[in-house]
Amino acid sequence: MKSKFITFLLIVIIISMPFISPSSESRLETWSKILLCPVCQGETIYDSPSEYADDMKSILKEQIDNGLTDSEINAFWVERYGERIITNPINNNIEILIVPLSVVLIFISIFIRKLYVEK
Amino acid sequence: MIYNTGIIFSWISFSLLIFLFFNKKNLYTEILVRVNLFIQVFLFCLLEVGLFLNDFSLSYVANYSAESTPPLYKFASLWGSLDGSILLWNLCLSLFMYFYLKLYKDPSSNIDIKIFTLIMIFFVGYTVFSSSPFAGCIELATIGCSASTILPFAELVTSNIGRGPNPLLQNHPLMAIHPPMLYIGYVGMTMPFVAATSRLYSRKDKSNSWIEVAEKTTYIPWLFLTIGITLGAAWSYEVLGWGGYWAWDPVENVSFIPWLLATAFLHSAKIQKTQNTLLNWNYILVGLMFLSTLFGTFITRSGVLISVHAFSNGNIGTYLLFGMLIFGLIFIAIGSKNIEYFSKSKKIDNWFGKSGFFVFNNIFLFSSALVIFIGTIFPLIYETLYSRQITVGRAYYDILVGPLLLILLGLMIFSVKLSIRNLNIQKWFNENVILINIALIVTIFTLFLLNNSYILIITASFSFLLIFTTVSNFYKSFRLTKGSSSYWTGQIAHLGIGIFALGIILNVSQSFSTEIELNSFQEFNFNNDTYFVYNTIEESLPEKNVLKLPISNSNQTKYTSLNIFKNSSQQAISSPAVFRSIINDIYITVKFINEDSYKLIVRNNYGVLIMWIGLLITSLSFFPRLRKNEV
Repeated sequence: MKSKFITFLLIVIIISMPFISPSSESRLETWSKILLCPVCQGETIYDSPSEYADDMKSILKEQIDNGLTDSEINAFWVERYGERIITNPINNNIEILIVPLSVVLIFISIFIRKLYVEK
Repeated sequence: MIYNTGIIFSWISFSLLIFLFFNKKNLYTEILVRVNLFIQVFLFCLLEVGLFLNDFSLSYVANYSAESTPPLYKFASLWGSLDGSILLWNLCLSLFMYFYLKLYKDPSSNIDIKIFTLIMIFFVGYTVFSSSPFAGCIELATIGCSASTILPFAELVTSNIGRGPNPLLQNHPLMAIHPPMLYIGYVGMTMPFVAATSRLYSRKDKSNSWIEVAEKTTYIPWLFLTIGITLGAAWSYEVLGWGGYWAWDPVENVSFIPWLLATAFLHSAKIQKTQNTLLNWNYILVGLMFLSTLFGTFITRSGVLISVHAFSNGNIGTYLLFGMLIFGLIFIAIGSKNIEYFSKSKKIDNWFGKSGFFVFNNIFLFSSALVIFIGTIFPLIYETLYSRQITVGRAYYDILVGPLLLILLGLMIFSVKLSIRNLNIQKWFNENVILINIALIVTIFTLFLLNNSYILIITASFSFLLIFTTVSNFYKSFRLTKGSSSYWTGQIAHLGIGIFALGIILNVSQSFSTEIELNSFQEFNFNNDTYFVYNTIEESLPEKNVLKLPISNSNQTKYTSLNIFKNSSQQAISSPAVFRSIINDIYITVKFINEDSYKLIVRNNYGVLIMWIGLLITSLSFFPRLRKNEV
């Protein structure tokens, strides 16, 4: 009983931890992890050491300092480079979430039906 | 000389395989398989000789090697590009064919060797008919060779200098081991495919022998695939200088898909062996494992996707698709022949017992493979449909694959003691409450001052609990040699994965980086340590110029360098200086050098060493199998 109480207490502490020391990622970091470096092979501008990525980062920094919203930043880059600049396609193409999720769900339901229901 | 011999022996190998395929007498089978292995070893050595003698009349040598290439990378150039790597592929395939014949051959029929031979014919056929590494150069380019012939006895021209391997491939010795390991893993997936299809083709008895052989033959390729992927990640971290190890690059994805499928199969095969269920599912997995390796090669080598790994465009794309079609049809035909047998598969009734957990494991592993597959080909489909390009990057995989892998991590905690009966969660909790408490306390202490998020906390708690339950299980029952060897293989692998998961979540959530500009003989502070930068040292090697920049902290001096390869149009490669410790690495790369002022990227990468240790432990999971000679 005592040990169960301890478990309960520990879980409470653990749940509160993100409030004590929350994760801190700046918007610049978030966005530079999303934008693709167009001259590199599949790297984001966060990862790429190229000068091109550097220039993009400084434009991005300016945009964030000027307080542009996420959709404005998104529109700016997509207009200039096309959709492939955004490595997080979930922002623009919601079907990319729907397609795999539905395929996976169909797979799971068939699997379980085969194994379980069809007696 | 090498050109003629190579092409003629490729033809001999090809005709020998054709003969083996149509041969009716068992008598010759073993001899032919041996001779075939011998020829493949010979061809491998022959191309190595060509590389070391700098025989630039061979188009492959002229294009992918140079006189100045250091010996190790000359050796590795053999698999540095498409044609040569198919040669290595053939060598692996014939080695596996020989071992299969020795260890796992179905004594009652010859059909397995026939299927194996057919696959071998397919790959040797490529070097014979389409593009051979022994092709002779008939037209010179400015550097290297621009046109070649695969017919013997042609008039050849010899270029004076070779182009040298891709700079990325000659920057670290890991490049010499990573591809062969992966290839052994990839090619090895042929064995379970052959075992399953052949035994089901000629199934006279009603036994489950096919699943036993398929399971045994999957473990070895699985192991090599694990090692190969690990080495690839390590190479990426040590060489590419971007501070990461996994980019969800299409080619990384397609090596991960067979791994996930093989892992799923290794688990579900166990269930079939003990409870005679999941028959059709296992058959599907075996087929998909093999086809996914072909698909992987297709993605890597056909140039349909942009990636660090896509070195060459050739006509191999269509050829491989054709192969996938043929082997897929064989697979489906044999499967449909056994439809009656598959329908005898038992239903599962204990969803919270061993079989239930294994089914969940399969569902999540397979779903991950599916999601990764869709993410990899989605840009292709999208471009075909809408003529616009999109990129599927990290965010997609983080959102979709991350949770699936986290659930798998949670499931592994229960793997220590799973009985066939349904699990009583209350009882399980009571038995493990002390370990749970310890795991929670350790999690709290580890994460207390870090950037916290729920995904980090849940992953860390699961990992610690998994590590503690597995270790205490080792302590309690390993010496008593309870449990089968495959059980202990699993336990070691799980322990490794637990440690790995801890490392990766620390890395993903805690790492940060900054850029620093400074001059020679200046110092900078980073993460409570002072680093001193000296002046650059220039080194001129035959194949490259190296600009080295020594950096030292209070304990040691490391070099970060810019490598500029001669004969190459690629940009300079930046090698990192890594100050390692168990918790975090300080990873410094030089971005550019201007007179004596530098711009450095300094990263604090958490958990990388923990990850390598975890993966090393997973790779060592073969030890229990050695104990009882079950490999």
